[in-house]
Amino acid sequence: MSFREKCAWISFVLVLLVLVGVAAGGHVGIVGFHYFLTLLIGFALLQVMLRLIIAWQAPKDARTPKDEREQLIDLKAARIGFYALVAGVLLSMLAVHFHGNPWSGLHTMVFSILVAWAIKLGAEIVYYRRGR
Amino acid sequence: MPPLPITNTIRKLRFEHGEMTQQDLAERVGVTRQTINAIELGKYSPSLEVAFRIATVFGVRLEEVFSYDGGGPSPTPSER
Repeated sequence: MSFREKCAWISFVLVLLVLVGVAAGGHVGIVGFHYFLTLLIGFALLQVMLRLIIAWQAPKDARTPKDEREQLIDLKAARIGFYALVAGVLLSMLAVHFHGNPWSGLHTMVFSILVAWAIKLGAEIVYYRRGR
Repeated sequence: MPPLPITNTIRKLRFEHGEMTQQDLAERVGVTRQTINAIELGKYSPSLEVAFRIATVFGVRLEEVFSYDGGGPSPTPSER
């Protein structure tokens, strides 16, 4: 498995964990937002740590810049993630419209970002597995 | 996923060049080993630039490395 595929797996699993954390937390309002920020900081720290570990195991792979196939995979996955994000933003607008509460919109938006991110990373992994 | 209409002789050329490893070839071409593997297995069609670089590494013409087996006219954008 290539360095970048391992990175995609790490990010995918961590985003899923944040997603579960946000869904299971059940916090609302500013508390919910702070809870999300805390999860995000934990996510970033863990991600840096795990990436450093795999870069340490395969330093040559980690130093190699993305080649054309990896860039293409990145772009194709980002396109899929983009559609998920747009759908999420539209849902957020609907949430604000129906609930009349901006916090519900913000929570839906945060959730949408995470789902779109997970979809993007999932697509990346599928493309890496398929070879293109 | 339909197979790509482009076939190649990279495996044979690597063998003829002293069992050159995929990693060696990848480093000379400037791509990752996984990309060379994907090209060799026909899972990925490289750009023209990478195709030329591969041919240059082996010191052969491009058509000695890659051949198009699709036949017929090229598909329209909606058919791709």
